[in-house]
Amino acid sequence: MYRLSTRLLSAFGLIAAATTLAHAQSSADYFKGKTITYIVATSAGGGYDLYGRLISEYMQRYLPGSTFVVRNLPGAGHLVGTNTIFASRADGLTIGTFNTGLLYNQLVGLPGVKFDLTTMSWIGKATTEPRVIVVSQQSPIKSFADLRASKAPLNFATSGVGSANYVETTVLTSALKLPVKILTGYNGNDDQLAMRRGEVVGTMGSRSSFDQFVRNGYGRYIAQVGGKDADTPQLRDLVKEPLAQSLIALVQSQGDIARLTAGPPGIPQPALDALREAYRRALEDKELQEKAAKLERPVEPAYGEEVRKAIVAALTQPPETVALLAQALQKK
Amino acid sequence: MIETMFSALYAMLTSPYMMGLMLLAVAIGLVVGVTPGIGGRLSIALAIPFVFGMETIPGAVFLLTMHAVNGTSGQISSIMFGVPGDGDDAATTIDGYPMAKKGEAGRALGASVTASGVGGVIGAIVFAVMIPVLEPVVLAFSPAEFFLLALLGITFIAFLAGREQIFKGLIVGLFGMMLATVGMDPYTGTPRFAGNFLFLWDGMSLITAILALFAIPEMIALAVKGGSISAVPVATAKYSYRELFQGVMEVPRHWWLALRTSIIGAVVGMIPGLGSSAAAWFCYGHAIQTSKTPERFGKGAVEGVIAPETGSNAREGGALLPTLFFGIPASSGMAVLMGAFLILGIQPGPSMITDRLDLVWTLIWALVVGNLIAVTFLLFIMRWAVLLTFVNGAVLVPYIVVMAVIGAYVSEGQWQNLVILVVLSAIGYGLLRFNWPRAPFVIGIVLGKIAEESLHKALELWGLKFFTRPLSLVLISLIVTTIGIAVYQNLRPRVTAQQPPVSR
Repeated sequence: MYRLSTRLLSAFGLIAAATTLAHAQSSADYFKGKTITYIVATSAGGGYDLYGRLISEYMQRYLPGSTFVVRNLPGAGHLVGTNTIFASRADGLTIGTFNTGLLYNQLVGLPGVKFDLTTMSWIGKATTEPRVIVVSQQSPIKSFADLRASKAPLNFATSGVGSANYVETTVLTSALKLPVKILTGYNGNDDQLAMRRGEVVGTMGSRSSFDQFVRNGYGRYIAQVGGKDADTPQLRDLVKEPLAQSLIALVQSQGDIARLTAGPPGIPQPALDALREAYRRALEDKELQEKAAKLERPVEPAYGEEVRKAIVAALTQPPETVALLAQALQKK
Repeated sequence: MIETMFSALYAMLTSPYMMGLMLLAVAIGLVVGVTPGIGGRLSIALAIPFVFGMETIPGAVFLLTMHAVNGTSGQISSIMFGVPGDGDDAATTIDGYPMAKKGEAGRALGASVTASGVGGVIGAIVFAVMIPVLEPVVLAFSPAEFFLLALLGITFIAFLAGREQIFKGLIVGLFGMMLATVGMDPYTGTPRFAGNFLFLWDGMSLITAILALFAIPEMIALAVKGGSISAVPVATAKYSYRELFQGVMEVPRHWWLALRTSIIGAVVGMIPGLGSSAAAWFCYGHAIQTSKTPERFGKGAVEGVIAPETGSNAREGGALLPTLFFGIPASSGMAVLMGAFLILGIQPGPSMITDRLDLVWTLIWALVVGNLIAVTFLLFIMRWAVLLTFVNGAVLVPYIVVMAVIGAYVSEGQWQNLVILVVLSAIGYGLLRFNWPRAPFVIGIVLGKIAEESLHKALELWGLKFFTRPLSLVLISLIVTTIGIAVYQNLRPRVTAQQPPVSR
């Protein structure tokens, strides 16, 4: 009886080994001759497009025999593209990139969300986008302390109600009781021009969008969330309120997972492993890194499971944070 | 300064590599421009991989030239088939297509291509002249001024519609403004007239609306009427170089208008936030407003072709200014161009003028030379293209409808826009059939959005006091004058009352 069972076991073991081998074989071959659509949830030409094209070019190199096609699917603040990725067939042949800020939309349950970020097949993220509070050079505000101490309300520019930049500005403003009046409708680089005209004092956004603005002497950073830049103090060291700390942590986790790549839920494990492996090798490729450096686009990758866990963690928020977010979004 | 200026030109003209690149860029730019729905923005985005590893100056010249000549070929389909490629080409359609119907496609194309070239060159000159005053001029325009400028543009509807049709014009203009309100409202974060249709959240697709209102109705009308686009048969029409040349000569004949509209185009282009289609429409409105015979517009007036084309090409020179010296792109095309410039190692900012003057001049010359190459090339091949307007509609219509449908789809990649295309085409054909003006629609949809957004911002920033800003007062007086002229022209005894109303 005993011998039989060991025989059976070893037989099973053999079969199992054989199938894993077949899996490994097939996952390497799986993409041979296949076309992988890489959806970019913005129109051609922006940062997402740039990362998307760069990453798909090098992933193709590390999935021999595959062809990557970049498809721009802009609309409704990345919602159109993300919904499309989520609803596509889970065969590994459709993946894509979109704004991590959509996790706010999911947290609060904003309209138009037809995805669940926690279940998506996470492949990796390319970089970290620290958030900064930037103020115009001509304003009397020289530091975060000045901002807090201001008697008159200060105008801050945001893009639109519901956008990630609006959400972050609103929740931090209300949690820290900052004397800030939030204006909406500043898209693209409108906020920089508005600061130069003096109609707004500052704004909050990704550091990479303002580096040139600050380098040209038009503005200064007064606080930062995430990142390792020594020239700007971290916002978490400047404030004490526990609620604000938890919100800063949320904003930071959002900024840490920037320029992500993901597929629909349920991509078969071997195919997902192959995609993750190709992604890792693409991001570690010296040539890709050189190109990105030339474009002034930082590369600080993280891969697969790590990214998935971070997303799940960011979406597991205590009810009071969710309530604050919801309140921020309904204020207008 | 002067030395750098000419050494840059010399270096460009004597290098076969640079000239070869420019020829290639002109060719690509013209091909992209002639296809509706694919703007210069996309062409640059697609060219980015190819400029990797190129040297700074050749790469920048290549991209800028490609972008700058885009508008030069856009008017070809507007004039010949009534199919505008984008918002500013729609302005050219209004007088260009009636000219083609009269068998004057050659003259219209000669004039528009030359006007584009002249506009591009003057735009480059404005660029050079404006560098010292760039900062005060650009910073003087805040949301308050944007609102009033948009309002000024909207008052042009009074002229566009013509005196017999002012109410119809207003109705159509308001219809356009109504469609401009569709989309996600940035002030409340709720979708307006868009419900759960995500494709409407960014607003009605401008290119779809324009194709539906202009291209499709004209094609239905042509199919119903039978025959060819040109009402004049090919034997009697002059489709030779001579007619093209006559068109070319229309530009020096209207040199004063061409100069003014080029400057208007360049200055409007210089101010980020006014949108890229605004320049052409301001110029078109200006041409009618200052014309002694405004009733000729919409029926094939050559000035109606010259004004928007000078304006839209001059705009590129203007738009390059804030892009290069502030690092703030003035249009979506320029935003992509700026991204590409970064790849080439160009750091936009005020230091460009001190550190990279050679590059600045090379770019100015690239605008001039690129436009000249494009004009020469187009004038040379246009002779054969014009013949298409004499082809039987039964042969032509299917191709053009397919082109319009593709344009509506590729501009945003959303199939739902095809439904919008069909619905709005029905309205467009109704307007055409019953002789209602269609131009005010584009003004409404283009400027309505700017007017609304900037009014919101201005009120939030300054409350009602924004009307008392100095520049605002100047603009308000311009608006009052415009309305005054319109009222006077309407009350004036009718001289041309016998003329039958003609569609625009």
